[in-house]
Amino acid sequence: MMKEAVKETILLLLLLFFTPHAQGTRYSPPGKPELTRCRSPEKETFTCWWKPGSDGGLPTTHALYYRKENSETVYECRNYHTAGENSCFFNKNDTSIWVNYNITVVATNALGSNFSDPVDIDVAYIVKPNTPEKVTVTVMEDRGWPFLRVSWEPPHKADTRSGWITLIYELRVKLEGEDDWEMHLAGQQKMFNVFSLRSGGTYHVQVRCRPDHGFWSEWSSTSYIKVPDYFNREKSVWILIAVFSAFIFLILTWLLHMNSHSLKHCILPPVPGPKIKGFDEQLLKKGKSEEVFSALVVSDFPPTSSSNYEDLLVEYLEVYVPQEQELMLEGSKDLLDSCFKSEGSTSDNDSGRVSCDSRTLLMDKCGEAKEEERQTDQEDSRSETEPQRRQKDWDEDALTYACEDMVSPDKSSGRVKTWPSVFSPLPQYSSSLPDQMSSFKMAKQHCHSDSLLPPGSTSFYLTQPGYSTKEALGPSYWEFCLSNKQTHSLLPQTQPCQQLQAHSDVNISSIGCKQAPVGLPSPAVRRTDYVEVQRVNEEDMVLLQPVVSDRGRGEGCPQMCQQEDYSKVKGVDSDNMLLLQREVMKEEVDRCPCEDQETNGATESCYTSPVSTITLKPAALIHTGTLIRDEMALAASGYVDNATMFTLATH
Amino acid sequence: MDRVVLLLSVLSLGVSSQPITDSQHQFSTAVSRVQTLHLLAQSLFSNFESKLPTEDQRQLNKIFLQDFCNSDYIISPIDKHETQRSSVLKLLSISCQLVESWEFPSRFLPGGSALRISPRLSELKTGIQVLKTASQDGAEMFSDSLPLQLAPYGNFYQSLGGDELLRRNYELLACFKKDMHKVETYLTVAKCRLSPEANCTL
Repeated sequence: MMKEAVKETILLLLLLFFTPHAQGTRYSPPGKPELTRCRSPEKETFTCWWKPGSDGGLPTTHALYYRKENSETVYECRNYHTAGENSCFFNKNDTSIWVNYNITVVATNALGSNFSDPVDIDVAYIVKPNTPEKVTVTVMEDRGWPFLRVSWEPPHKADTRSGWITLIYELRVKLEGEDDWEMHLAGQQKMFNVFSLRSGGTYHVQVRCRPDHGFWSEWSSTSYIKVPDYFNREKSVWILIAVFSAFIFLILTWLLHMNSHSLKHCILPPVPGPKIKGFDEQLLKKGKSEEVFSALVVSDFPPTSSSNYEDLLVEYLEVYVPQEQELMLEGSKDLLDSCFKSEGSTSDNDSGRVSCDSRTLLMDKCGEAKEEERQTDQEDSRSETEPQRRQKDWDEDALTYACEDMVSPDKSSGRVKTWPSVFSPLPQYSSSLPDQMSSFKMAKQHCHSDSLLPPGSTSFYLTQPGYSTKEALGPSYWEFCLSNKQTHSLLPQTQPCQQLQAHSDVNISSIGCKQAPVGLPSPAVRRTDYVEVQRVNEEDMVLLQPVVSDRGRGEGCPQMCQQEDYSKVKGVDSDNMLLLQREVMKEEVDRCPCEDQETNGATESCYTSPVSTITLKPAALIHTGTLIRDEMALAASGYVDNATMFTLATH
Repeated sequence: MDRVVLLLSVLSLGVSSQPITDSQHQFSTAVSRVQTLHLLAQSLFSNFESKLPTEDQRQLNKIFLQDFCNSDYIISPIDKHETQRSSVLKLLSISCQLVESWEFPSRFLPGGSALRISPRLSELKTGIQVLKTASQDGAEMFSDSLPLQLAPYGNFYQSLGGDELLRRNYELLACFKKDMHKVETYLTVAKCRLSPEANCTL
């Protein structure tokens, strides 16, 4: 009895001990399991997974049962382990395609069991392949640009070879550190190229696949690839070229800016002065001065016809009367004015006045002199100043000038020969200036006509062989020249030109001397020669002839005088002296006629004789060497100083 | 004489090799066409199903699975093993039967007329028949013992309304999609079996 009571007490205690547990954890049948999914990796087998419900506190077991369509046979899953926990694996023999499966999971525990909801599946539509295998990524180069080549293999279970399953692939790429993937659909091929890479970056590549109607597989494991640093040669070359050309452009711009001044001279050179007709600068540059001067020779000079007079009317010499002598000069203020005017005007003529920095200094200086001459051309009054001045000079000194014979062509040639000296550089000529009177004379000649002047007037004076020997040259000449020089000195620019001229004068004089025996006409002797009246022609013209002097200079004079048969008689004075008057133009009595002729006759006749014959233009200086020429030059002035006439007449 | 024999042998080889290449091309064409049809069937079905409420979808699915398609009577391999065991000719004939069974009912598919399902099926059938005749050269004639005249669905010709109509349409679309998938698989397998290269799916 006691033992039974003890046993009952123990049982009660046990029951009491277990009761609270039993009340705390209520045992119940298992919860309802749930099929989560079924998948087939290759359309040959498949697996189903479920999620168990609560187990009810008791160990529960699960079982999967399935039924195929059109069949009531219930099969149970035979493989619960292959696919892991809570799974059922259907092998090939149990798998049928295009057949509906009705699958149910049952959870069972001690208290009961629970069925899940049935799931109907068709294996053909639950295919989810495995991930592609053997994914390889390599960097390749295409024409200098890198690209990735990704290749892979299908999952080994999928039978794509027989065509049982057709897979399409997809891959994705991203740079390391970025979040966005770049998707690429590869289709059924097992290789793919990825372009547009960033050089020097590391890329992540993944591949997945799916059947033509099924589920996508999982992404393959990431493949890492580093793209090497790529140097875009083409772009860098263009950048280099651009930088280089910009640099060169800057340098050119700077150079242009620096040399803008000289470029202006190069592109827009200053307008050069007028050129001497027939003068070739290129020859001068070459140093062939003889050729230069030969070019200056006018072929048809002395002109045989009167048609070229106008051509010869190129320049007039411009004579500047020096201040001192101007004061002494009588009257003719206008002469002075014209002198000054001409002087002043020559300074601003841009045709002949070239700047000091022009090519040839000599040319400039001579051009200036020419300038003056041209000035005389432009205005008759100016041209007249020349003889007027001369006349004054002569008046003062009471010198008669030997008429210069006509200059023969030889003279001209001789004169021409002197040309080179004119334009050659003359060192220290100025020092020798006062020493040589002949030079003055030459200078005078040059003063009259620097260059190309129709050799007429100048040649008269120049190439007289007797110059060197005759020092009795009219001081007026010299003074004239001096005055020229002085006047020129007023314009410093002309100074060197004068010097040059003087130099040439020297040569000329020498040449003139040489030519003396050639038979040149008697040099113009500045002596008062007399002309005796030869006869009076029907036209009331007195024909004069020079008186032959003991010097024998009258050789040329008769010629000259004979030529001078155009003069008109103005009147006869008390001394029974004929006063001849130029018909056409008033000319300075002092001038040419006397110079040309060494006549002892009435000087007036000398003066006037050629004048009236001047039917030519006064400015035409014909190189026939006649007095006419001189008188023409003089006649241009149209001035006849009666006083001088008388003065001279009284010699 | 020897040269003539040689020339004739070469010509015969050329002639004989030609049908293979032609059949290859034909197969590729047939496969591509059936793939198109399958995709169309899939799109039709998914469109239809998406318009249904979810509750109806599940119920319809249940009902569908309990019924069966009209073409179930056509015996066809249902797994890979069977399919690979079948000859090309058998596969072709089964495919032809399947396509033919849908020539008429496809007109009643909702949206099928817009996609020209029936003409496509007719063209596909013609192609398959050409393939059949090509593969039948020298081989025994495969007699289609199964009658092609299929009994329509039970309530096929009845004008249904409401749920009945909905259910019928659902069944039609589901069965059509499944059959197209079958044909595509059979043709692909047959084509790969005839192609010389190993990976015929490339």
